[in-house]
Amino acid sequence: MTLMLLRRLGMVIPTLLGVSVVVFILMSVLPGDPLAGLLAQDATTADRAALKHSLGLDAPLPVRYVRWLGDVLHGDFGYSPYRRRDVSELLGAAFSNTVRLAVTAAVLGIGTGLTLGTLGAVMRGRVMDRVVSMLAMTGISVPSYWVAILLIIIFSATLKWLPAGGMHSAHGGGFPDYVKHVAMPAFASAFVSVGVIARMTRASLLETYSMDFVDLLRAKGLRGWQVLWHVAKMAASPVLTVAGLQVGFLLGGSVLVETIFSWPGLGQLIFQAIAARDFKVLQAGVLVVAVTFVLMNLLVDVLQLLIDPRLRKAA
Amino acid sequence: MVAIVQVPAAVPSTADTDAVAPRSYLAEVRTRFFHNRAGVSAVSALVLLAVAAIVAPLLSPYDPLIGNATRRLLPIGSAGHLLGTDEQGRDMLTRLLYGGRLSLLTGMLPVIVATVIGTAIGATAGYLRGPVGAVLMRTMDMLYAFPAIMLAIAISASLGAGVTNSVLAISVVFIAPISRVAEAATRRVIFLEYIDAARLSGASTACILMSQVLPNIFNPIFVYASGLIGLSIVVASGLSFLGMGARPPVPEWGFMLNSLRGAIYVQPWVAALPGFLIFATSMSCNVMSDALRDALDIKDA
Repeated sequence: MTLMLLRRLGMVIPTLLGVSVVVFILMSVLPGDPLAGLLAQDATTADRAALKHSLGLDAPLPVRYVRWLGDVLHGDFGYSPYRRRDVSELLGAAFSNTVRLAVTAAVLGIGTGLTLGTLGAVMRGRVMDRVVSMLAMTGISVPSYWVAILLIIIFSATLKWLPAGGMHSAHGGGFPDYVKHVAMPAFASAFVSVGVIARMTRASLLETYSMDFVDLLRAKGLRGWQVLWHVAKMAASPVLTVAGLQVGFLLGGSVLVETIFSWPGLGQLIFQAIAARDFKVLQAGVLVVAVTFVLMNLLVDVLQLLIDPRLRKAA
Repeated sequence: MVAIVQVPAAVPSTADTDAVAPRSYLAEVRTRFFHNRAGVSAVSALVLLAVAAIVAPLLSPYDPLIGNATRRLLPIGSAGHLLGTDEQGRDMLTRLLYGGRLSLLTGMLPVIVATVIGTAIGATAGYLRGPVGAVLMRTMDMLYAFPAIMLAIAISASLGAGVTNSVLAISVVFIAPISRVAEAATRRVIFLEYIDAARLSGASTACILMSQVLPNIFNPIFVYASGLIGLSIVVASGLSFLGMGARPPVPEWGFMLNSLRGAIYVQPWVAALPGFLIFATSMSCNVMSDALRDALDIKDA
């Protein structure tokens, strides 16, 4: 058990290194001149070379990679000339905003998804099951950015109930004000998760319901909800994997949803960095998203080991 | 966004072969597919959209690029403009029809490109195993460590805006999951007798891969890839929505959805139309993929 945990933890290090290489390569071949915004109009070639040298951009790629990785491991993501702030400071603020949105969306998405999926499985073949399957199919197909626009059309443009963007009103307004702002972006982000989780929950429950032990439980005279409890424990594993992936996606921040609702999170930060060719922010932002995603997957695998004795035996 | 969930693919079984009237496997699959009403309507919708996009000039008298400045943002159902007009006074129906060309193409192409490359990588890794297989698959794992959409956006940003680059970016994203499915499927068939037979009769590795392995891993890969088309269309249009894919003036649904955002408070339902088509296409693709999976009798691809 401990050995398995250690082995899984050990696998994370090469993955993280690989991720850092991919991010570094992607951002090093970025088109456009990284010095463009930093030089004065009348800069000479010598000024240019001097700036390039002072930024370390004249070193060969592998050297730059090692230097960059060293800085990152010390928590130093560099300085954004575009925003005139330290990148780590920008990232910290954006990430905490994304986490707030992600947690709301995850609770909404996983809760609704589990409920719908269970309803579908328990009422298999009935109208409710059809409705659940339709909803789930809609969820996995719908573009979140279109959901976002529809929500703005309905609740901001037509009913005028909710603000179309931002995280706070200018005059403040405490918790109710925050809820008003977070409602639409959270719903738009959660919609896909609802579809994915409902589908997996229904499928996993139905597969478990067809096993022999369920007949035994019924023969023993257990009630429907008691049987469901036994079945749910058996069916939990694949649902946990899918739900963990969804939380990983949500924690990465949705570039599209955050941009549409002007939510000041990671996704919006990354998008603005692309538009401004602010490559330090872009590099660090993408790295943070990927590392979060890898760690989330690790967490799910560890949880699986803890809850599922069958996996432990396999070692 | 939708997860590219990885589940091991099963080798298709033809368990319920009819003892009385033997029919070919494909005929069996075709019958099963056409008995699925949802699948048939999804395919019909997709064919309709594609044909309408191709013959758009025959269906509409308007030019998709030139608008009438005096007839901007007309509502749905206006005389002469069935679905209204956009912010430059161009006929919406016309632009949606023409827009289907680029949107469907940028949705389909990445899946095709990724299927070819991913299958080649996965089958090679699965057949050779050993260090070569390990290097190939661990490289794929690195791409797999990114959330799909973020990777597509990052690659697009690094390649620069444009249709070709966005197709490339999405292709790279899909190569990793497809190569995993292909590798898993290959590992399941390489120990079967017919592979040994081919090897004993002196066939080369390349020949075995092409003539023995490929036909037998095709079904799970095909079903898995068909399930990616819907996601691909959503991501491709999403990239254009962010201004990283198709560029104006050529109509494309994602870009249209973004440029109509300014009209949300004037003509909300006109502004929502391009998104509806992205959704309808993606949903049809997913329903079709489900029907295919049922027809090919693949448990989990």
